[in-house]
Amino acid sequence: MTAAVVVRALRRAAGVTVPLALLAWLLIALAGAPPGEAIDAFLRGAFGGRRHAYLLSTLSRAGLIVGMAMAAWLSFRAGLFNIGGEGQLVLGGLAAAVVAVHAPGPAPLVMAWAVLAAMAAGACWAMLAGALELAAGVPLLIGSLLLNYPASFFASWVVGHPLRDLASGLPQTDLIVNERWLPNFPGTRLDIGVAVIAIVTIAVIAYGATTTHGLRARLNGLSPAFARASGFPVRRLALQTLAGSGALAGLVGALAVLGLHHRYSDGMLVQPLYAWTGIVAVLLVALVPWAVPLAGFFFAALATGAAGMERTAEVPREIALILQAAIILFVAGYTARSVPGARDDGDAH
Amino acid sequence: MESLGASLSEVTVRFGGQVAVDALSLDIHPGRVHAIVGENGAGKSTAVNVLFGLIPPSEGEVRIGGAVRRLRSPRDAIDAGLGMVHQHFTLVDSMSVLENVVLCAEPDAGGGLVDFAAARAELVRLAERHGIRVDPDARVAQLSFGARQNVEIVKALYRDARLLVLDEPTAVLTPREIEALFAMLRRLRDAGRAIVLITHKLDEVLAIADQVSVLRKGRLVASRTLAADMDAGARRELRDALGREIVGGELPTPLMRDPRPRGEVVMRATGLSGRAGAMRLGPLQLALHAGEILAVAGVAGNGQDALVRALVGLEPRAVSGRLTLAGRDVTAAGVAQRRALGLCYVPEDRQRAGLALQATVAENASVGRLGGAGFARGPFLGRGHMRRFAESLIRRYRIGVRGPRARARTMSGGNQQKLVVARELELGGVVTIVENPTWGVDIGAIATVHRELMAMRDAGQAILLVSSELDEVLALADRTLVMSGGAVVAEFDRDDTTRQQLGAAMIGGGGSVAA
Repeated sequence: MTAAVVVRALRRAAGVTVPLALLAWLLIALAGAPPGEAIDAFLRGAFGGRRHAYLLSTLSRAGLIVGMAMAAWLSFRAGLFNIGGEGQLVLGGLAAAVVAVHAPGPAPLVMAWAVLAAMAAGACWAMLAGALELAAGVPLLIGSLLLNYPASFFASWVVGHPLRDLASGLPQTDLIVNERWLPNFPGTRLDIGVAVIAIVTIAVIAYGATTTHGLRARLNGLSPAFARASGFPVRRLALQTLAGSGALAGLVGALAVLGLHHRYSDGMLVQPLYAWTGIVAVLLVALVPWAVPLAGFFFAALATGAAGMERTAEVPREIALILQAAIILFVAGYTARSVPGARDDGDAH
Repeated sequence: MESLGASLSEVTVRFGGQVAVDALSLDIHPGRVHAIVGENGAGKSTAVNVLFGLIPPSEGEVRIGGAVRRLRSPRDAIDAGLGMVHQHFTLVDSMSVLENVVLCAEPDAGGGLVDFAAARAELVRLAERHGIRVDPDARVAQLSFGARQNVEIVKALYRDARLLVLDEPTAVLTPREIEALFAMLRRLRDAGRAIVLITHKLDEVLAIADQVSVLRKGRLVASRTLAADMDAGARRELRDALGREIVGGELPTPLMRDPRPRGEVVMRATGLSGRAGAMRLGPLQLALHAGEILAVAGVAGNGQDALVRALVGLEPRAVSGRLTLAGRDVTAAGVAQRRALGLCYVPEDRQRAGLALQATVAENASVGRLGGAGFARGPFLGRGHMRRFAESLIRRYRIGVRGPRARARTMSGGNQQKLVVARELELGGVVTIVENPTWGVDIGAIATVHRELMAMRDAGQAILLVSSELDEVLALADRTLVMSGGAVVAEFDRDDTTRQQLGAAMIGGGGSVAA
């Protein structure tokens, strides 16, 4: 009985890994690099480096992806398909940069204001998508997606025109003064943003599992008819949940600005696909919350590893991106069946 | 037509650790109606799902036409000559009857086109031969439940089903439709087809079955042949014997009703009107008194749904008129405000509106009390308290479920309904609106639900019972309103209500109804 289960699991895992390995080998060979060297470069790019520099950069990226994944989780579990995380992230980052660059006052206070402004901006943008659905009947899926574009363009305009850094001439804000940066972990070049994300992630999971609001939001997601018949304030629940989701995305933007880039420059939160990778990560683990950080770390490692592969083995990054897409497709089918609690949402008690 | 029998021999089905069907052997013969009865979760549906290839048996074998078959899908079963009419119809509402009937069995006109002319001719021929009334061009969405059932049956016959399984076919039918269905089933039987009928209603078994098998906890407890010429005494005896076999003990005692004066009006609707799809609701007047059960009877789809939505507050803006609850004007109030004033609601659609199936039993049980003492400490849930509360409901209402942590979807339909009823009744509100509370629920559970409703009435609560089951209305109601076409067309007091009068009013006043 158990032996059969193990054999079946192994066979299934082999069904995923064998074709993936073949595909990877084929792609790397196509790019003209010796596969062994490429894989070595990939692993070092993701986890190695002098004094683990690359591992730290993987961690830093993982933090941002996990933050966005939890933002998506928060709304998805409530049946709200808020895929506008990118717009909420961008506006949050922009708001944080504007406050941190221009506001007067002592550094800790300004940083707190910057974070709050970022969260407020993200929350408002997410609630706008919700309000569009409730008031005008625009489906959230479409509204939240389309609101990404004005957010990005608005941010481009702000850093391209009124608040451009004239010294560099690039479309970005001025650099934030040094004392308003998030501190690094002692002796490393990793800022404490990842720790903030870790705490927030635990808090969000706890919210889902232990609070009345979290339960109501989840039940509303499971069956809107049930929530209405039970007398839940469904509209308020939806808007509040969206606000939380957007605020979390805004917070991620603030952490990227205060900790990693120390300014907002055009496209810096869009190009790395933080928001979309976060959505993929959360879908990949079928909304099981404890698995989200693992998925986020996995995707971050893929991205930094690919960069390393490009640097040292001259395998173009695009190869890794194709591989990433293939992995997502294969693994999605695999995890949907095998993650404990998948399809049921994780918090059964 | 070649006749077809089937048999299950020593079939066992396990779901996880639970045994749903336990070494069950059943023989189904051509030219006979074989009724399968049993409580919810007794394994009836599982057994026929094995027969139909929907569930692979863990042990045992399925023979069809004498040969052992391993069916892997309904497709295989259909090819083998089996047909199934599910309790919840499997028709495409937006398509015509003809399109539904030929779906996935389309006659080929060449070039990938469907030969609808041939299909229509075949459909009309089948319908005529078996005396089934169907209009090939009607849209399914516009048909009554009875007509939809006919479509399902024709659909199975079109695929040359020689063994027909019907799962609770009478649950949504009017008395007259039931008569017509039985007449049709008798013709199909006499033509040599095998009919398997899953039902809760023993009167129906006595009316139509040639053989009846009783399942309890996955086992076959009795299987007997019914004589055609039983007298009334023998019938009553058999009926009681079947009932005892089903519940595995004595039958629940009949409902006692204490006459009691009704109290003051606790819910009053004045000139209530609204829309229900294409139908207008009202304007109607309604006064619900404390300590009474007011039934709203009627054929399904005559505005009862819109009335309930209006009273519960699911669409307060779509309703005009005036509604008071416990002396307060709640015309514009939402569900939450009305619930806060003491409204409880057992929705008809327990799987969507009554429960969140993916959530646990404890979560579902506690849903109306999440703000209450013990259930929450500040913003946090009192998970332990929720579990203990669910445990007490499970114990007192005898809900069949693994425990409070099990997901609601793991319960059988009847137990799901018990959970919903238990939750709402425990709230002890001023007014409880109960919508078809015993649809698809077994004898034991029906008795529990009815007893609880009666106990609430006796405790002075007001109950509005919306039901399309005449027996239920007759057993429970102090007063009965009959709805037809979105309006109240008749009102009866308990003392002068007869089955015939009610039935006649339900179908629009014309003639008496065979019951």
